[in-house]
Amino acid sequence: MSFDHIMSVTIGGLTVGMIYALIALGYTMVYGVLKFINFAHGEVFTVGGYVAAFTLLALGIDQNSPWTLVAGAVALALLAAVLVPMALGFVIERIAYRPLRGRSRIIPLLSAIGVSIVLQQLIIIIFGPKPVTIPTLAISSAAVSFFGVNIRVLALVIIAVSAALMIGLTYLVKSTRIGKAMRATSQDMEAAEMMGIDTNRTIAFTFLVGSALAGIGGLLVVMYYGSLKYDAGFLYGLKAFTSAVLGGIGNIPGAVVGAIVLGMTETYGVSVDLGFLAWFVVAGLALGLYVQMVKAPQRRLAHIADERRTAEYERSIMNVYRLAPYHGIKTLLAERTDALLSVSAAHGVRLMAGNVFLAVVAAVMFANASMRIDTRWQPVIAFAVLMVILMFRPSGILGEAVTEKV
Amino acid sequence: MGATQTTPVREASRSGLQDVLARVPRWAWWTISIAIAAGFPLLNLAGVVETAWLRVGVVSLIFVLLSLGLNIVMGETGLLNLGYIAFFAFGSYTTALLSSPKFEIRWPFLAVVVVSTLVAMVAGFLISLPTLRLRGDYLAIVTLAFGEIVRLTIINLVPLTNGPNGVTGIYSPRLFADAKPALEGVQAWFIIDKPIEYYYLVLVCVIVLAVLLTNLKNSRVGRAWNALREDELAAISSGITAVRAKMLSVVLSAGIAGFAGALFAYYSNVISPESFLFMQSVIVVCMVVLGGMGSIPGVILGAIVLQALPQLIREAAGAARSDFEVYRMLIYGILIVVMVIFRPEGLLPDKIFRREAHEVDPRELEMTRQSLFDLEEGQKDLEV
Repeated sequence: MSFDHIMSVTIGGLTVGMIYALIALGYTMVYGVLKFINFAHGEVFTVGGYVAAFTLLALGIDQNSPWTLVAGAVALALLAAVLVPMALGFVIERIAYRPLRGRSRIIPLLSAIGVSIVLQQLIIIIFGPKPVTIPTLAISSAAVSFFGVNIRVLALVIIAVSAALMIGLTYLVKSTRIGKAMRATSQDMEAAEMMGIDTNRTIAFTFLVGSALAGIGGLLVVMYYGSLKYDAGFLYGLKAFTSAVLGGIGNIPGAVVGAIVLGMTETYGVSVDLGFLAWFVVAGLALGLYVQMVKAPQRRLAHIADERRTAEYERSIMNVYRLAPYHGIKTLLAERTDALLSVSAAHGVRLMAGNVFLAVVAAVMFANASMRIDTRWQPVIAFAVLMVILMFRPSGILGEAVTEKV
Repeated sequence: MGATQTTPVREASRSGLQDVLARVPRWAWWTISIAIAAGFPLLNLAGVVETAWLRVGVVSLIFVLLSLGLNIVMGETGLLNLGYIAFFAFGSYTTALLSSPKFEIRWPFLAVVVVSTLVAMVAGFLISLPTLRLRGDYLAIVTLAFGEIVRLTIINLVPLTNGPNGVTGIYSPRLFADAKPALEGVQAWFIIDKPIEYYYLVLVCVIVLAVLLTNLKNSRVGRAWNALREDELAAISSGITAVRAKMLSVVLSAGIAGFAGALFAYYSNVISPESFLFMQSVIVVCMVVLGGMGSIPGVILGAIVLQALPQLIREAAGAARSDFEVYRMLIYGILIVVMVIFRPEGLLPDKIFRREAHEVDPRELEMTRQSLFDLEEGQKDLEV
């Protein structure tokens, strides 16, 4: 693995991750406030991209246009890519989500799926089923050399713009009046209303901000890849949702962290050898062993009342974790009446099984060190990450901001 | 049964026609429906309708099977499954591999159908092990991811599935294994390969399944599912083992999808990943929502309305397929939104689900809020 390769893969992963983050913020904010998955968010992103692309096409700029004209056109496209999705997000919330507030969880989700289908078909009807393609601009092909690695300027622009937007959003949520209203609404809608917060307006505002970010994401994707298909929003939306869950849904920094992790995983997964990837698995295994040997027994011991915490008791807890396969299974089989000890045994066996699995995966990967995962499998990576995170740690890496039992 | 136990509010809003219709007994509805369904191919034999219509009928009945299966998890147990078509795919591909020139295998029909059902059930069991702890919306997304992983794996596992090209030349079902050469003539009688034969085969399956599911719905298991849907905590406190009941419903519905998948593979001769898109899952969800979650006659109606009606209109109008698909999906999308907002209980509602769907009435919420404000205004007046 050469440094050049690693560097360009990292920048690529970061760029993709930042785009996911822009979309994921919409999911995570809406979830934080309404506890509901806005399934149509991916389509709002596509609409942003389409509107931007058609603005650029309508203005008729191409590679030979002077840069002032290009800058003006991009600015107009940006304006369109922000305003149209904002209007759309507002209307969707008003028509399809607001009447369903207070219903059981899957009912608004069904409505959101309906909206998502409607939007996708409307895009086909209005713009046609072919992917929209914009002419190559000077800015899309420009590259800079960084330690001898060629990097597209646009990748750096995407990273910078997204980072700036995220800082702005953090400021908005943390330090402004409307941000305070959003946080209050997400904690307890009824109490917020009693404090004089117009929750309907706050929720509408959340949709406006989320849709604007998704629209900007759409513009950036169109500029970066040069084209966009009508159903792109489905995959982008799901990946962004995966990012939001990965970081901890309802948690704004979490969405960014999750998106970067997902972007990196996807890009590294198919661009480097298995031998290199295996080291990440080894790092995961080291973390897993640390949890099993040190962290988990400590946590379990913290649950025990002091008077019961004899040296012998501590030793048996340590045993079921550190020698999980032997002591744990023996404890389980012996049907200890001590609830805590048998819980520890089950936990220890589970952790050990996970670590053994990781070790086997790492060994297989080292054995096929020179192979690569085929690019065809790239879309599967995001879905697999989504399933794994939801199954094993639904609260995400940084934990959900919403204090709610999953 | 439905007429006497509806809520008083509903009773008052009934028009004369509805009242008359409600008095027709349940068994009469069933008889009429079965008679119409069974009589439909006779029109084809008599030359009144084209064979293309009969083909639409077969596919619609397969979708009836699918939506009956999805209704178990979504309607009865209240678990949204957005990757339901994956189990259909498991059934289809198992059938395709066990009865096609791909591996030169030709198992008898019954064995293939049983194995396909079992494969789908095992898949359902495996996926339900880690996911059933999740709350409703997360479960929906996990099943969606599962469905997409299955589809992408089918596309990528070229040696087993031929990838995007799909498996072709699936043999026609033979009801029994190879008979002696002397019985060739008799054996031909047991081969199903004409649309009308498929139609009756699937129709019999639908009727048997509908009867079984109606009984199941009123049994201990069905009541446990409904209780879990309405209030999980209360259900668990009443002694229902939530995980076991939910798992049973997922596995059962997966099995039905696998069974439907086997029939679909036999009927269409060719299967490809195109038939197992996320949109297909959404279409089945749409059928259940339209017909009425938890209501067996409703779900059957929903599947027929959404599958047969558009196809028949297309046959009649002769519209181009791609244009037609776009508008069909557009209408489906609008339909889902309109139904969940204005009539969440569906066209032919299940009476328990209707009560539940209207539990939080937004208008009522608004009214209580208004009276609360009035009270505050009054208070202010007093203070002044």
